[in-house]
Amino acid sequence: MRILTSWRYPGNWPIFRFDDRLLLILMAAIVGNFSGLASVALNRSLVMMSEWLHHFRHYWWVFVLPAVGAALSSLFLEKVVNEGAGHGVPEVIYSVSRYGGLLRFRSSFSRLISSCLTIGTGGSAGPEAPVVISGAAIGSNIAKYFSLNDRQRVTLVGCGAAGAISSIFNAPIAGMVFAIEVIVGEWKSVNIVPIAIASVAGTEISRLLQGNQIPFSHHLFNIDLLNIFACLGLAVLSAAASILLTRMLRSMHTVSHKVSAPVWIRAAMGGCAVGVIGLFLPVVLGEGYHTVKILIEGEYGQVLAVLALASFAKIAATALTLGWGGSGGIFAPCLVIGSLVGVTYHHLLALFWPSASWVNEGYYALLGMAGLISGMLQAPLTGIFLIIEITGGWEVILPLIIVSAVTTTLCHYFEPASYYLKDLVEHGHLLRPGTDARVLSDLNVPELIEKDCIIVNQNMLLRDFIAIIKKSHRNFFPVEDDKTGHFLGIIHLDDIRPYLFDPVMYDAVILGQIMNTQVEVVHPDDDLLDVARKMDMKGLFSMPVVVNNRFLGLISKATILDQYRKELMVQTSH
Amino acid sequence: MKLTINEVAQCLRLPVSTVERWIRQGRIPIQKTGNRYLFNESTLEKWAAMYKLPFSLPEKVNATPQQIKMENLLPSMKRGGLLYDIKGDGVETVLKNAVENIHYLSSSIKEILYSSLLEREHLTSTGIGKGVAIPHPHDPLKDMIKNSLISTCFLEKPIDFKAVDGKPVFVMFILLSPSTKIHLHLLSRLSFCIRENAFVEFLKTTPDSTAFFSNIVDFENRLVKGEGY
Repeated sequence: MRILTSWRYPGNWPIFRFDDRLLLILMAAIVGNFSGLASVALNRSLVMMSEWLHHFRHYWWVFVLPAVGAALSSLFLEKVVNEGAGHGVPEVIYSVSRYGGLLRFRSSFSRLISSCLTIGTGGSAGPEAPVVISGAAIGSNIAKYFSLNDRQRVTLVGCGAAGAISSIFNAPIAGMVFAIEVIVGEWKSVNIVPIAIASVAGTEISRLLQGNQIPFSHHLFNIDLLNIFACLGLAVLSAAASILLTRMLRSMHTVSHKVSAPVWIRAAMGGCAVGVIGLFLPVVLGEGYHTVKILIEGEYGQVLAVLALASFAKIAATALTLGWGGSGGIFAPCLVIGSLVGVTYHHLLALFWPSASWVNEGYYALLGMAGLISGMLQAPLTGIFLIIEITGGWEVILPLIIVSAVTTTLCHYFEPASYYLKDLVEHGHLLRPGTDARVLSDLNVPELIEKDCIIVNQNMLLRDFIAIIKKSHRNFFPVEDDKTGHFLGIIHLDDIRPYLFDPVMYDAVILGQIMNTQVEVVHPDDDLLDVARKMDMKGLFSMPVVVNNRFLGLISKATILDQYRKELMVQTSH
Repeated sequence: MKLTINEVAQCLRLPVSTVERWIRQGRIPIQKTGNRYLFNESTLEKWAAMYKLPFSLPEKVNATPQQIKMENLLPSMKRGGLLYDIKGDGVETVLKNAVENIHYLSSSIKEILYSSLLEREHLTSTGIGKGVAIPHPHDPLKDMIKNSLISTCFLEKPIDFKAVDGKPVFVMFILLSPSTKIHLHLLSRLSFCIRENAFVEFLKTTPDSTAFFSNIVDFENRLVKGEGY
């Protein structure tokens, strides 16, 4: 029996109570391995799927394949595992900011299966977001099993994400930077060390199983000043593409929600449209790593018009797949669109200034990818490190930084929040660690309530009330109905000050007459941010907390400030 | 001594719910596994010092609260006694004679008392109207006397005390107390009595001690009823 209970709470084992940091590093390695495995599994099954479906490519009805895939994946998510469509990274960030990184266990495999169905059949989406969610869910559940606390759980969620990205791109630094910049949002050594370990573990496991290969081949570019300046134009172009993609995704989402059909039919409609585009431009289908490879090699021998059209088509296809209910991420589509935009830009340059010595189109494809990633995610570091690692070329770092920085800034100008964070910011759910909103949201009304108020009833005479005032040390007196116990109003000392020294009034006035019934009240579940706002608007210093017509206590600015200060000290000074 | 989680909250002067949340979020070095809390007190103390949070063991709650029940009028008045036919034609002489006659005090204190009473009278008159004055020192006498006392002094003839209503004073209550708190307590009770005209009329008859003290007992009883304690 004792062995059984100790298995129930492995967090009780002395080994796990030895040292917190070591424990976290150990866990990080485990999480990194598991999420690495998840990404390898998705990668392998995507390859298998496309090999198997390759036989059907020459049939005329091939355009329904993405429709079937999207419908199946949407059915699976909706009916079998009961999870929302979409790419899911916002859910991870939301859980990190609100629920200490709690994620459901089924999230660790559900998106893998659904995105495999969507992408394998030709839907235009990326496999990265699904593996990020899987990794995050694995980290969260391992943390839960060992009864770790919220901070540690959030770190392990970050570890899962880092392991997944590191493994799928064979890019440990990019994974690490992505997890910290996008998922956790807190650059502190307590996070960075475990996440780095997880990145290493994730990368190692993928190298072990798939071999150590750089995803896209490495080229030496001879970059002169002219080409560095030229990348500014590309930054503008890729910013435009990012904004277009963001807007398209959102508008497709709204349009699809206006169609009154079951979600899986909607997904099928979107998939069908993608299939039709794919008939003419097969470049839009799937996650498109192969396309990126060709583009970097500079072997995509197409004319300018086709390239521009392909860029638009890929944007449209991605919006159709994800906006209409398919499952997958935007990472890979961003890479494809970025490289297409980059090559298009190269062709444009060559068209207008044919005599200048432009570096080959692979260079611009790289920069375009960095631009799109930075623009969509508004995470410049992730963009820079990812491109460097997946192409293995450090010599492009200068133009890469310029493109990433300029694109991020431009996109930020038009879309203040990145694609991942937009919904969260709109609903006020993005609470990065150490911010004011975070501290206020952690505090809640029941923690701040003061209960040492003397409650009076509405039929009490002023004389009796004055006797009570003598004994109390508060300025507020809640009034309750003597029969029902319902909260009726509140009396502030200021309300009776004029009558305080007028003995004639003592027996003539009852409290029901002088109490203030138009009071703003607070519910214990109210957000402290709203409470503070209400106090500011009405110029109040205290508000009664009332639930079901019952008075619970008082909440005052002084206590809020006191607790806020303590909370701030504990949350920020690490 | 092993602390409970409630005591930890008390040490930190925080609600228990906050401490529980901090444990869940991992902001405080306490671990919860199952429903057990694991922590080390010295670590906790170091942690609190690092974040500059107050951390001290809660004081033992005394079973008997510090507040000693304050004496009422009667014992103080008995201690001070009733003095009749105090001679004098001015504030100074009256006070001088009255202080001389308070048997409860030693002569060294009497001098200090006299000068401090005069000092207070120079500030403003303690004649509160209706022919009554309540002379008292500006600051409580602190260590010089252990117990409060009220000397009721009937004057031989009414004198001008520069009272608020200008009426000549015929009776003085010299009020001495070891602390301001007791002073205010007795003053409020005394003024409750004087507020009643019947009592003032009664004083004008220069009652003997038995009648006077029984009257005071009546007032005390009414105060007890009126204030509810």
